[in-house]
Amino acid sequence: MKVLFLFFIFVLSFHTGFAQDNYDAELIPATLRNRANATIRNEETVVDMRSPDNVMYSVKQAITVLNKNGENSARLVLFYDKNTSIKSIKGEIYNEVGKLAGKFSQNDFKDESAVQDFSLFEDSRVKHYLPAVNTYPYTIVYTYEMRYKQNLIIPDWTPKPANDVSVEKSSYTFICKPTDQFRIKTQNLANKAIETVTDKQKTLVWTVNNLAGVKPEPYSPDRENYQTSVKIAPQNFSYFNYKGDYTNWQELGKWEYDNLLKNRKTLLSTTTQTIRDLVKNETTDKEKARKIYQYLQNKTRYISVQIGIGGFQPVTAADVDRLGYGDCKALVNYMQSLLDVAGIESYYCIVQAGSQKKSLDPTYASMNQGNHVILCMPLKGDTTWLECTSQKIPFGFLSDFTDDRYVLACTADGGKLLRTPKLTTSKNLQVSRADLSIDKEGNVTGNLKTMFSGAQYDNHEQIIDKSLTEQQKLLKEAYDIDNINFDKIEYNQKKDIEPELTENLTLNIRNYGSINNGKMFLLLNAFNIKATIPDSKNRTLPVYINRGYTDIDSITYTLPENVIPFIEPNNKEISNEFGSYISRTRLEGNKLTYYRKFVMNDGTFPAESYTAFFKFISDVNTADHLKLVFSLKK
Amino acid sequence: MKKILAVICFCSLFLSTQAQDFNFGAITHDDYEFNKKTLDSNANAVVLREFGTATLQLDDATGRLLLMFNYHVKIKIYNKEGFNQANIVIPTYKDDSREELIKNLKASTFNYVDGKFVETVMDKKAVFTENRSKYTSLTKFTLPNIKDGSIIEYSYLLQSPNYFNFKTWEFQSDIPKVSSEYIAYIPGNYNYNVTLRGFNKLNEQKAELSKECLRLNGVTIDCSKMTYNMKNVPAFLEEDYMTAASNFKSAIYFELSDMQMTNGSKQSFTKAWKDVDYELTSDKNFGSHMKRKDVFKDLLPSILKNTTDELSKAQAIYNYIKKQIKWNSYYGKYSEENIKNVLENRSGNAAGINLSLIAALSAADLDAEAVIISTRDNGNVNKLYPIISDFNYVVAKVNIGEKSYLLDATEPLLPFGLLPLRCINDQGRVINLKKPSYWIDLKAAQKSVTNYALNGKLNSDGKIKGTITTTTLGYAAFNKRKEIKKYNSTDEYVEKLDEGLAKLSILKQEILNIDSVDKPLIETYEVEFAAHDGSNQNQLYINPFFINRISKNPFNLNERTYPVDLGAASDERISITISLPENYVVQEKPKDMGLALPSAGGRYLLQTNLTDNNLVLNQVLQFNKAIYAPEEYLYLKEFYSKIIQNQKTDLFLKKAN
Repeated sequence: MKVLFLFFIFVLSFHTGFAQDNYDAELIPATLRNRANATIRNEETVVDMRSPDNVMYSVKQAITVLNKNGENSARLVLFYDKNTSIKSIKGEIYNEVGKLAGKFSQNDFKDESAVQDFSLFEDSRVKHYLPAVNTYPYTIVYTYEMRYKQNLIIPDWTPKPANDVSVEKSSYTFICKPTDQFRIKTQNLANKAIETVTDKQKTLVWTVNNLAGVKPEPYSPDRENYQTSVKIAPQNFSYFNYKGDYTNWQELGKWEYDNLLKNRKTLLSTTTQTIRDLVKNETTDKEKARKIYQYLQNKTRYISVQIGIGGFQPVTAADVDRLGYGDCKALVNYMQSLLDVAGIESYYCIVQAGSQKKSLDPTYASMNQGNHVILCMPLKGDTTWLECTSQKIPFGFLSDFTDDRYVLACTADGGKLLRTPKLTTSKNLQVSRADLSIDKEGNVTGNLKTMFSGAQYDNHEQIIDKSLTEQQKLLKEAYDIDNINFDKIEYNQKKDIEPELTENLTLNIRNYGSINNGKMFLLLNAFNIKATIPDSKNRTLPVYINRGYTDIDSITYTLPENVIPFIEPNNKEISNEFGSYISRTRLEGNKLTYYRKFVMNDGTFPAESYTAFFKFISDVNTADHLKLVFSLKK
Repeated sequence: MKKILAVICFCSLFLSTQAQDFNFGAITHDDYEFNKKTLDSNANAVVLREFGTATLQLDDATGRLLLMFNYHVKIKIYNKEGFNQANIVIPTYKDDSREELIKNLKASTFNYVDGKFVETVMDKKAVFTENRSKYTSLTKFTLPNIKDGSIIEYSYLLQSPNYFNFKTWEFQSDIPKVSSEYIAYIPGNYNYNVTLRGFNKLNEQKAELSKECLRLNGVTIDCSKMTYNMKNVPAFLEEDYMTAASNFKSAIYFELSDMQMTNGSKQSFTKAWKDVDYELTSDKNFGSHMKRKDVFKDLLPSILKNTTDELSKAQAIYNYIKKQIKWNSYYGKYSEENIKNVLENRSGNAAGINLSLIAALSAADLDAEAVIISTRDNGNVNKLYPIISDFNYVVAKVNIGEKSYLLDATEPLLPFGLLPLRCINDQGRVINLKKPSYWIDLKAAQKSVTNYALNGKLNSDGKIKGTITTTTLGYAAFNKRKEIKKYNSTDEYVEKLDEGLAKLSILKQEILNIDSVDKPLIETYEVEFAAHDGSNQNQLYINPFFINRISKNPFNLNERTYPVDLGAASDERISITISLPENYVVQEKPKDMGLALPSAGGRYLLQTNLTDNNLVLNQVLQFNKAIYAPEEYLYLKEFYSKIIQNQKTDLFLKKAN
């Protein structure tokens, strides 16, 4: 499944021209040097919305690169296309003590296509420049101006672009007509905007000072949820010859439906007939939808096609009918058209896809949220969701790509925020059961059967259709045990709204048990050792666990006859707010059973709990390395 | 390593069945039902037939010669994993004055529906041209209505102003091919050096005469019609630890050697090394730079201050260039600018930097030469005759007394005399301003060495407190320095290191010689970690492989096709001394062992002892070669397997009564 809109947002905000400033690196306060590889000395961003189809975006930025690692912060990257033009770029480079060392202009920039992978798309381009300086620190000052022929998407202001960049001073100025209406969403800002209104224009200025560098922390929430930012959405907008207005999701969804989606659902008459025939014997809408979905999966494949109204409009259902491919927008629109034939209502839903859960902001509607489209069928209370870009995913299953988040349904009645179902800790299962025999040389043979479901359904899904040699290779990566070989590989899928994948492996592992001096050393947990996580000292951000899961492993080892356990197996139990762990070992005759259950909870926990979380995972890792030693009778 | 380059003989001139293109759209049941098991049962798609011709033709409009390359292919797609074969990208070259063009593009999908083949023709509008970068355009298209079992077919004409390398033909790709056939019509007045690479053999190769195939200035010229055919070509699959795919992929390459003008004069391009030597040493982007001693004349006194002998002079100059000029990340055997500008702008490509280095060394009256090489990712060079386009990089060689040193000043963290790993690729050609050129081995001048020494004390709570001293040299040191330099300070580096080691705490640290790259990098860490849980003091089970325990086998597959290239020989030594709390005796210990790879390819030694209440462990892991043959893969696998088995076993200590 692939992400499909390209939004031209400048993650890095840049600014410009302060000739009188002193860029001596010595002047950067020590607090801003700490943890920073670069410091933004001064940045001024100005958005001048002269009219809805003429927005000037100008930036002046002075950034001091403190060391080689800060180099990327000195890179200026500007995306442009038919709707966005670069009016001017220029800049200067200053040495360590702030003396002018060189200048550059647009000619020094590299110009390349911004199209990624195999995407059928013509005109997204990027200009970028990185100064050739290798003595640090140095300062680079950029001034550039861009013109947008639209105001539907105004770049967000994020004055601190990365963890390792500190900011001395940065400001954002938004200029519009006094009569212009717009919504503002600010985050983590100490001061309110200073507002000035004259007859001709209204000006808003936000300023931040002294934002320090921070070190990246593992298991922390998405930066977007706490970084300093200002987002602006004008009420009346112009976009590719479209005009419109919105103040909330309802209105934005309505505009998208009316202008971008409506009237693109005409199918070939033969297809209409095929669908009618297909569902004529089905009694419920859900069963009809299931059949139609199967038809979609057989008929189409995903190809990124970034054309049409800045990448927002799907190609028509008739085109997909003819070509058999489309991007997520086109395929959702096509599926919707097929469902219409059977009289089944469905919603075109915009979502921010990715394993990291990200919702559309319920408090702030804007066009630059979301990067994927899925389909929702209300089915009279039996809401069912469809991912339309995959030919393999089970009917009604979204996977962790789009689960548990707010999405925007664009309907004839307007936009509605809906929440996709959550894949829960108790249902995100990986349950394995192994029967293994060990001979006197430590060689293992046996069978490993594992069931994957919920968010874990996909763990080995990509192995299924691979060739046998490729499967062997991938499984050796998944079960990275020295000398492991798979004699038989078998997969079964229960393709349903709550799908299950079962992997059945017949395997052998030469010398799994290690023999030394008449004793055998056996690592009990053969297949599922929890990796340790990095420590995070002086933690500042909350601990965020994106998704929970449950792993249950049982292994029965049939030992060689007459072995004597040399150390007693020990059982372990841990339980806390982050999850729980149980491991048990039992020896009866020559049957050794090992049972392990590990539960990881999702959630957000206070920063200071990281120490406990770290210890929990370390303890699990230690317990997972439990070894038994046996004496072998001669 | 097997020789996989072979020269193709032009001598056999015989006539046989006429090779020709197949008809577009003539799909047969044999195509549709082609049983992939006869070729490769793992294939997701198979090229049923592939045919190409290349000719030179005069463009009447411009009076220039153009290479016309016709390509035609038919592919059977078996399943969804093979659908990406229907997404096609054809890169073409362009610059300010010339460009390659794709013409006559035609593509169709054939599906078998209700007993007949249904063709879906690709819409012309579905072809996109992407202006990728200054020199590259991409023609992209995807075929409609792809289903399991579809057959796709497409053809196009590539028209190119570049005929120096004629047109390379790749017999091998990521999917297997039933038949791949190429006909090159080479005008009689053009001579190309032709090279076949890869392990696969041609099934057919013939040379025929093609009369009057080209007309130049009113003169008709006959062509050699060269036909190359390969059948049942396996898919090319990349493996880990492998150098450039182009070294192994079956393909045919051309390079223009000379051409006869219609006025009777002859222009040679590559003939013998002495010609190349002359061309390079007089080239304004190469030899001229080597000669620019004047640029450094005024700078030398200060650079050479405090130097005594030739070696210290060479080192001082090398350090100066490394510090002064920043590498712009581009390779190249020609400098993009003259070295005066390179020095002034403090930025250059590999040639700009290293030719500057050569000029500076020469200015100091040192014996400096240039070595042109092909980087690892660029593949090996042809040794049979000079193919100058094979080379993509240049380094310096300085000869001091009996010794010579290879130098590349693009990487500030490399010690004097050690080339970056990207340059360690077979052989390079030494270019001297006065003497004939010659081949030189490109080997890492130093082993990659890592020594760990742990001295500690085991306390009764099961914790070991002690000091780990790590000494690294060669690439091991280079990689560590690069990593350390990613942080603002060594404190931050160590903090990160500490946080990443879940079970070990670093209490104090000292890192020496981070910037003295000619010296070993020495890290000293005071550490604490648990050796056992402390619950049973009378008998202790301790796994003594505290440092770099090997638990995964990097060579875990059952077969290997291509050589295993580790880059450089390596040497890792670990010595551990732990003093135990009280009188313990060793009940069991991991077997002392000595393992060796065949023909002294490497060895592993392990020894543990308990003497005077001190536990002593010594371990050596050596790989003496950079490249291992595919046949040696299973030895490497077993070598690691034995180590892993041994490292699974514990030391068992019992308290003495």
